Amino acid sequence: MPQRPRRVSLLTILAITATSLVGCSTPGAAEDGDVDLTMAIWSANEDHLALFDAIADDYLADHDEVDSITFETITNQDYIAGLTTRMAGGNVPDLAWIPEANAPEFIESGVLADLTDTFTDTEGYDVEDLLPSATALWEKGGDLYAYPFSNSPFALYVNRDILEAAGQPDVGALVGTDDYTWDTIADIAAAVTASTGDTGLVIPSFSPTTWDNLTPLWASWGASPWTEDAASCTFTDPEMTDFLSWFQAQTARGAVSAVTTAAQNPVFATGDVAFSVAQLSASGALDDTFGWDFLPLPAGPKGEQGVIGQAGIGVVAKSAHVDAATDFLAYFTNAANSEKLATYFPPSRESLLNVSTLSAAAPKLSEEQIQSAIIDVVPDAIVKSSSPVYSKVTSLVSSALDPVWSGGDVGDATAAVCAVAQPVLGR
Amino acid sequence: MSSAVRTRAATRPIRRHLDRGDRWIRLAFVAPQVIGVLALGVVPFVAVIWYSLNEWTPLTGSFDFVGIDNYTRLFGDQRFFNSLRSSFLFGVGIVVLNLVLALCLALLLNNRLRGISTFRAFFFSPVVVSIIAWSIVWNFLLAPEGGVNGTLAMFGIDGTGWLTDPATALGSVVVIQVFKGVGMNMVLFLAALQGVPGEIKEAARLDGAGPVRLFFAVTLPMISPTVLLAGILTTIGSLEVFAPIQLLTKGGPADTTLVLPYFLYQTAFQQQEFGYASAIGVVLFIIILGLTMAQWMSRKKWVNDEN
Amino acid sequence: MMRTEYPEPDTETVDTVRVVLPNSAAATRDSVASRRRSRINTWVLYAILVIVSIPFIYPTVWMIFSAFKPTSEIFSQPPTLLPTSWTLDGFAKIFTTQPFLQQYGNSLYIAVIVTAGSLVVSGLAGYAFARMRFPFRNALFVILLASMMVPSEVTIIPIFTAVNAMGLTDTHWPLILMPLLGPSSVVSVFIFRQYFLSLPGELEEAARLDGLGRVGIFTRIAFPLARPAIAAVTILTFLRSFNMYFEPLIFLTTPAKFTVALGITRYQDAYGEPLWTTQLGAASLTVIPILIVFLLAQKQFIEGIAGTGLKG
Repeated sequence: MPQRPRRVSLLTILAITATSLVGCSTPGAAEDGDVDLTMAIWSANEDHLALFDAIADDYLADHDEVDSITFETITNQDYIAGLTTRMAGGNVPDLAWIPEANAPEFIESGVLADLTDTFTDTEGYDVEDLLPSATALWEKGGDLYAYPFSNSPFALYVNRDILEAAGQPDVGALVGTDDYTWDTIADIAAAVTASTGDTGLVIPSFSPTTWDNLTPLWASWGASPWTEDAASCTFTDPEMTDFLSWFQAQTARGAVSAVTTAAQNPVFATGDVAFSVAQLSASGALDDTFGWDFLPLPAGPKGEQGVIGQAGIGVVAKSAHVDAATDFLAYFTNAANSEKLATYFPPSRESLLNVSTLSAAAPKLSEEQIQSAIIDVVPDAIVKSSSPVYSKVTSLVSSALDPVWSGGDVGDATAAVCAVAQPVLGR
Repeated sequence: MSSAVRTRAATRPIRRHLDRGDRWIRLAFVAPQVIGVLALGVVPFVAVIWYSLNEWTPLTGSFDFVGIDNYTRLFGDQRFFNSLRSSFLFGVGIVVLNLVLALCLALLLNNRLRGISTFRAFFFSPVVVSIIAWSIVWNFLLAPEGGVNGTLAMFGIDGTGWLTDPATALGSVVVIQVFKGVGMNMVLFLAALQGVPGEIKEAARLDGAGPVRLFFAVTLPMISPTVLLAGILTTIGSLEVFAPIQLLTKGGPADTTLVLPYFLYQTAFQQQEFGYASAIGVVLFIIILGLTMAQWMSRKKWVNDEN
Repeated sequence: MMRTEYPEPDTETVDTVRVVLPNSAAATRDSVASRRRSRINTWVLYAILVIVSIPFIYPTVWMIFSAFKPTSEIFSQPPTLLPTSWTLDGFAKIFTTQPFLQQYGNSLYIAVIVTAGSLVVSGLAGYAFARMRFPFRNALFVILLASMMVPSEVTIIPIFTAVNAMGLTDTHWPLILMPLLGPSSVVSVFIFRQYFLSLPGELEEAARLDGLGRVGIFTRIAFPLARPAIAAVTILTFLRSFNMYFEPLIFLTTPAKFTVALGITRYQDAYGEPLWTTQLGAASLTVIPILIVFLLAQKQFIEGIAGTGLKG
């Protein structure tokens, strides 16, 4: 009776004994002939997938050597954990989306293949068109290791109905004046909370474990978690401590929504939130049930500072089909397809950074909004701080910084952050 | 109760003449289970010990023997001590709260009242609700603007961000976990309570024992074997908790809920250090083994009727 | 078997005391007072039971009602249990954001296989450890018990590596084999063993005289008699397998292969716009069928758990 389970367990024990003592295994060798490409992505949006599939189908029609191209969503809340877990066991995708903060980690550990030659050799690819500010993060020694397909500035979403109901001024009119600052926004937010009970300012992507999603705010304080070479912790610098103290004070008076775990943040689209810091794509969830505005980020003590959220696509060096994958990437991101992708992902090509391309991407935004909050911002914008040891350092920072979110002493917490982060950064 | 029957059967020598058959058939009875446990428990654990002596970064594929370096690093790692502390508080909190609450509920339910089985079903119902759904719901209820704070506000109490405040996060997760699982032990205790012979209690009452005395002098000792087993299983369970931590706090705030299994997961799958994570795994096993042994050894001191 | 039958709850009323009192007048006086006291006690007991019930049932009830709320009401102040305006907006997205039905099917079929397999595998093992003599019997039993102390988080790395090497990541194989044969199934062996220890030896002897072999005795006599153990193992294994989260999190990458427990954690839009009511709706749909089965068969459920042989 127990025949089948027994046979299975014998197989299992043999296989486990055989492999588990070896340590790591090599990925399955390439079968010659049929090439099946896989791109690991984090979007599960059906519209995105439909567009990707359409581009892939066009490519397959002209390329007999490639049998199929699959876009695989890794929906793990922690994309990097999901991706690296897969790669760890040799289940390697041929191409993968990489978040900006992990860029140096992937590039310096040799996980990604060099794209430069294929891109320059591909006819009509026009490497010159790529914005240097966008590709900087994805280069090493002058070579390009991933294509920054999404180059999306953060902006301030404003619920005009709430402001009006609370008797507050139209914030849109302040843009460009000296009054358009985070302090002004915070004052209005606090007044809104006090008068209507709505939530003031929300940073939807921020939670204690995703602490660096406060970059759009602290950038205009001139603050950063570590130096540009990612070698020294700068949490204890006055820029950062000033910002954190400001943030604490705003949370305490209700201007900024209380710090929550990831799934608890109030949602701007419900119409109960006055201000939200988010990217272009968040406009997709908005309709005309309430009046809203899309504005550039306000100024902090160090003036205005645009901030971009970036994502790159790289070819995994361990892939069995590096050449085919690189060739497909050159097609996927050429000028024509970048324009299609621009519907969802603001492009990093100079030729596409114009109102008409972006209007197609976000039809709910006016030309003025696109010009002032996107096109004017992109050239001088910065990205989140990245590090070759990002995966290791981020959880250390997160745990040491946590006391700040519940009102703890900023000086003590930031000192603790640098105490644990510096040894890892300095390695 | 048939415990008498069972005891007799257990102590009866196994009948030889029934064992005359092929010994391979007899081994075949246990083979699937034993082979399964060897393949999925013992062999992997031996592999974990080996891994823990290596530095292994799966992303790049580097795998180097480093001896006990991972262990020396572990004992110099502040986060490891944070994690030990969290696991300890978490385990103690769960075991104490769970057992005490389970006993109280079992005593409450051990009354002949109309509709008592409805309450029994209420207390037991979270056991059949998945821990995932349970955690998702509590995540909303414990949010700064959530139901718990809203209710407290009606009484003029200013609630906190229960899951983001280092002072309350661990306690909150413990309470969530206890409400989820206490029904299991409650039912075991209830069955044990109902197995306590009425005559013994009667005799104690005639000797002038009040209800409190009666409980501590008669009832508790009578059900102590159940309490011991429930205690051991709850201890092991509390040290393996993963899902509510991942869904509610991700080990934060300030590592206060960074229990060892979550620290292991973070180290292995987020930070890509399989060797170091394996060392954490070995330590976790030693802790569980030690605690279980300690509880088992202590049984002679307080467990009644051990055979 | 007798073990499922409970003695009547042991009542602690004073009535029994009255019987032994020598003076009948005192007894009457005492009984009036005690009856009043016991009525007060009864109401106090009910009050306690109701208050204590709240944290056990409120979350589930809130989850179900909140699935019908507009998103903006999840955090409304003061908190509400019932939606002010009922909506099905959240429900529509349950099936479009994730292949929910397929995930449900995955969980269901995995749980059924694991449960059925567990009954056979751990039933056989439990029987053998209780009733048979064979080489290394005690050593093997100790190994099984010791393996219970190895959390699956500890051994996940080597198992993960092996599963990868066999090309079985993103398949359901590890999710079936681990709970069926791995250390987490040892509890079932223990439950069966405890039960079979109580089996009268005469039954086996009689069966043997009737010409039944080892296998025959197990399949025809012992196993069918083990209904309380079967009930307990079925309930515990099904719940454990259906609600499995850690293993699917590690092994599965394709949403169509997810188990439902993993699926309901992923109801977030691509850009992190949380689909709260959708998530609560999906979680409700996961929980409600099991809750209904539980409420219909709560006596069997609870007696099944009580029949795990863990009591004195």
